[in-house]
Amino acid sequence: MISVSKLLCDLDAEGDGLRYDAADESTKRQIRDEKQRRPVVVWNVTKQCNLYCDHCYAAADTEIADGELSTAEGKALLDDLADYGAPVVLFSGGEPLVRNDLEELIAYANDVGVRPVLSTNGTLITAERAESLKAAGLKYAGVSVDGLPERNDDFRGLEGAFEGAVRGIENCLDAGLKTGLRYTITERNAADLEGVVDLLTDVGVDRFCFYHLDYGGRGTEIVDADLTPADRRTAVKRVCDMTREYHDDGEEIETLLVGNYADAAYLVEYAREHVGEAQARRVYEYLRVNGGDPTGERVADVDYQGNVHLTQFWQGYSLGNVRDRPFGDIWEDESNPLLRALRNRDDHLSGKCADCRYAGVCRGASRLRALTVEDDLFAPDPQCYLEDSEIEGPTPFGAGDEPMSAD
Amino acid sequence: MGEFDNEVDAPRGATSREWEVFVREATADPLTHVGSVSAPSEDVAREQAASLFGRTAVALWLCPADETRRYQTEAATLGAGASGEEATMSVAEMQSETLRGEDG
Repeated sequence: MISVSKLLCDLDAEGDGLRYDAADESTKRQIRDEKQRRPVVVWNVTKQCNLYCDHCYAAADTEIADGELSTAEGKALLDDLADYGAPVVLFSGGEPLVRNDLEELIAYANDVGVRPVLSTNGTLITAERAESLKAAGLKYAGVSVDGLPERNDDFRGLEGAFEGAVRGIENCLDAGLKTGLRYTITERNAADLEGVVDLLTDVGVDRFCFYHLDYGGRGTEIVDADLTPADRRTAVKRVCDMTREYHDDGEEIETLLVGNYADAAYLVEYAREHVGEAQARRVYEYLRVNGGDPTGERVADVDYQGNVHLTQFWQGYSLGNVRDRPFGDIWEDESNPLLRALRNRDDHLSGKCADCRYAGVCRGASRLRALTVEDDLFAPDPQCYLEDSEIEGPTPFGAGDEPMSAD
Repeated sequence: MGEFDNEVDAPRGATSREWEVFVREATADPLTHVGSVSAPSEDVAREQAASLFGRTAVALWLCPADETRRYQTEAATLGAGASGEEATMSVAEMQSETLRGEDG
């Protein structure tokens, strides 16, 4: 995740320590004081979902899968994650709220010291459910909305899904739950982006996460509906401009970009052009500490049957299963040559990534998109939208290990 | 000595068949289990595994996960538990709860 509001507008957030090792500078209470050493774990608690979204990476549908983890197994998994030191568990799906034991699992995660957060479509969040989630100790709910009403409902396969999600968000906010938006940008909904932010800001949402489409699950079927690199650049610029405009107007919204670390390089270039050289240097340094694309390192996924994946989007390949051995043993097992290569990907990236001056803050972006489109694990991400003139030349601001200083 | 009395027989795939993948990085190396791929057929499984491991392996073995028997000396890592179905809404309940947000 790349925090646009932090990098361009200096908005402090509770993830600064986790993400940028910048807890000391932040005025907000921190999730962690040090940059994470263990992955944030997405746990798809069920395959079952009440909606049928075109871009669902988990290929969810109305039926439960055979062999989903039980309540007892789920708690054992949370013990396992706590023992390993996972800082955060993101309850996802399917739609996690179809599990009647969700609050029990959230409370358990809280008890064992793994911060519980939630990804949901929002349409099952009644006022009563929002209160029980809050009481269980949920720290954050991210609600997916992918466009203004007509477009969102078309994407999600249910008329009224937009209004249902907004009601769910209102119920969360009324219960005192920190709540944000998740928005996956494609060609079909890029035009709605600002309208959705305007509308949800009025509702009281102040955190907006914009996801790039990754090519997993049903996402592989709508690759053609993804933005072109040029349109992606325009959409990312719009997120940056919009963030600054809100902040200029005194509305301190938090905005984040997820799923394409070409954004990291773009943000440095954007800061240089629109904010100034000193800020560009700070942005670069934060992003260098952040470390680029997190696949197989700072993010992991456990699916509803206990299979461990490199990210939540990469469901077609599993490293192993938590019913066979503990998560930490699977994640640390570098006898697996794929895991080893991904963690040393700087040595393997090819094409324009091999000599890119921003390789240190991007690390090739999505390996899954490269694999899906180019059939080459280390080819450039087809959704890199940077200009040749931006990526050629020496590493920006020197080697990057020296302390920051303002120009 | 372990008796391998504990079988882990939970399914590993839901959207399509799951295939356990084993590779050998050099002819002198042992065959190593490196996870599994989801694929509807042997040919697709081979393609997928080759795209992930072709650059580092000299041998690739595939075995359908549902034909693989997994035994352990100790009880299953997560312990025994009733199926997750017990914890999940029925389809009818899920549909009746959808968009009920205003009722609270």
